[in-house]
Amino acid sequence: MNTIPIRHKWEPYVWLLPSILLMAIFVVFPIGIVFKLSLSEISKAGIVGGWNNFENFRAAVRDPAFGTVMLNTAVWVVSVVGLSTLLGFITAMALNVKFHGRRIARSIVVFPWATSLVIQASVWNYIIKGEYGNLNNVLLNLGIIKSAVNWRATYQIEFAWECGVGIFVTIPFVAFTVLAGLQSIDKAYYEAATVDGAGFWRKLWNVTLPLVKPSLTVCTVLNIIYVFNSFPIIYTITKGAPANKTDTMVTLLYMRAFYDNQKGAATAMSVIGFAILCVCAGAYMMVTMRKEEQ
Amino acid sequence: MKKLLALVLAMLLALGCCAAFAEAEPITLDVIICQYGPNTQDWFLGKGMNGTNFVDKFEAENPGIKLNLQVVSWNDVYTEVSTRISNNNAPDILNIDVFANYAAEGLLLPVSDYCPDELFKDFFPSFIEQSVVDGTCWAVPDLASARALYVNQDILDEVGVEVPTTWAELEDVCQAIVDFYNGDVYPWGIDMTTDEGQAAFSYYVWNNDGGFVDADGKVALNSDKNVEAIEFAIGLYNKGFTNPNPATQTRYDLQDMFGAGKLAMVIAPNQLPSYLADKGYTVNFATAALPTNEGATPGATGVMDRVMAFKDDSYPDQAARNEAIGKFLTFFYAPENYVGWVSMEGFLPAVNSSVAALVESDPSFEAWLGVLDSCQFYPTALDNWDAIKQGVIDVEQQALTGGDVKALLDDLQAKIAG
Repeated sequence: MNTIPIRHKWEPYVWLLPSILLMAIFVVFPIGIVFKLSLSEISKAGIVGGWNNFENFRAAVRDPAFGTVMLNTAVWVVSVVGLSTLLGFITAMALNVKFHGRRIARSIVVFPWATSLVIQASVWNYIIKGEYGNLNNVLLNLGIIKSAVNWRATYQIEFAWECGVGIFVTIPFVAFTVLAGLQSIDKAYYEAATVDGAGFWRKLWNVTLPLVKPSLTVCTVLNIIYVFNSFPIIYTITKGAPANKTDTMVTLLYMRAFYDNQKGAATAMSVIGFAILCVCAGAYMMVTMRKEEQ
Repeated sequence: MKKLLALVLAMLLALGCCAAFAEAEPITLDVIICQYGPNTQDWFLGKGMNGTNFVDKFEAENPGIKLNLQVVSWNDVYTEVSTRISNNNAPDILNIDVFANYAAEGLLLPVSDYCPDELFKDFFPSFIEQSVVDGTCWAVPDLASARALYVNQDILDEVGVEVPTTWAELEDVCQAIVDFYNGDVYPWGIDMTTDEGQAAFSYYVWNNDGGFVDADGKVALNSDKNVEAIEFAIGLYNKGFTNPNPATQTRYDLQDMFGAGKLAMVIAPNQLPSYLADKGYTVNFATAALPTNEGATPGATGVMDRVMAFKDDSYPDQAARNEAIGKFLTFFYAPENYVGWVSMEGFLPAVNSSVAALVESDPSFEAWLGVLDSCQFYPTALDNWDAIKQGVIDVEQQALTGGDVKALLDDLQAKIAG
């Protein structure tokens, strides 16, 4: 005889309680503290005072680097997320095709993602160093260049390198999320499309894309959040120098909080960043979900 | 009678117990020490002090005082201290470089409250002056280091040039090195990073009779002398005489290039020789004074760290607490302890009583003590030193990317002073 367990309405909440508690203590509570701090006066020594009439937000927006850094952040997020999504998608398509050594290829692709970002960034920092950089060494030894090249001659180039590293380390994440999506597509769709005379592009556009879209959406939203909040690459390679011209919002607020002793402005920047992220990620999800419903 | 006697005895016993109890209750001092190098932790808490450590030895010699001592890395100490201050849990004794903000916000005890007179007189007066605001001394120096020019003697010999003493000579020597090595050796090291760009500022303005402040101690960042000095430094970069990325290449990068023979001249602290030896570099170097603009008074850059004591109004017996802090300092600066501390990481002393012993243990100290006499220090007694430091680094980095030095310094001066 089967016994049907008696379930109470509150039972799921009991099981959820540990995660809710963890989230409350380690996520919601600190966020609340940051919001409170951003509205309070914080002395240079660290004494937290009372309400200061949005002075921290005014200081954050008036920061001479604020404009440049907002622009940098936009370039950083759009280029890293955009290009890594494109390249990650192509990688996933390639890894979905059967070929000899596919397993090895798949594990190689995951390496950059499985390594800590600080280590990745430090390694790249060594690769592009002017004096003993590995890139210079390799090219010199191969006889491609005659003397060492300064691979980071201007801050624009340095920032481009940082974006490049960001793209490189983000590709695996996209590739694997998309690959999971690709593997779940029933082959019958492709067979039907082939019978109807569809070519590669047609199948890509009308079969593959619509069917991997859910995984692509999740992956892009997560990516926007990760990349916006990414700190180690820029901090390791340039620390935002020269004069904050390679900073993004997150590295700037770190410098302001812990180097320049402007904790008030830093907490305000952190709240501004949080708001921007909420809006961007929310908007992106709403747009894509609405399209899906249609 | 017997009853009375018993009562008196009982009272005496009770009093005795109280006294004994009061004596037995130890004072615990919270102490934060910065990590100067690999040996700091071991010296204070491990076995680095001849098989024992500072805390054990201090507690053995000072019964009734316990130390809750923590060694914190320089990267974390500012955050650690400000977090503790926000949580109303400031340390009793703090070792760090800056003090002005803590003093301005009324968190520190004046040194005269706890430092024994005899010890206070032992500090180099020029060092003590750096921690005085409006006639009150808020901190004492724990050690110092001085900067000098290090040159790769082999490179200079090969090129056939002498160590430059003036800015004009410096440019000639740089040009000669560039011509000789065809760009493979950088003649001159500049570090204008957020780590230490304020040091670069000082190397040039102090050797052109400029400075962070004027003769009255007022912030004077845009003086003509300063503009000339920074334009000269940026000029060295623009002419291709320096390492290629002064905004991101820290002093440690420069020291490594110098060790590897890739950089001919670098300004570095007196610990450079031990740094090079530790890393296994064998470069033939000589030291010299920093080059000076023609006619200007030479100025060496000194860096000093401090020890300070925080107020704790909740403590019931302030006099006993002050005395305990005084005992900590007396013990720390006693030559038998202090000499080991200073020489361990190759620093320079802050008190007279240890000089003789230090020179005896390492004769090269003598030359550095001479440099210390002529040293200038950052104006860390100003409570806006944070902003000045960040500001001059920003000016340098803007100038490296083509900004106009005068306009940048004018803006900074207006922002800081206005």
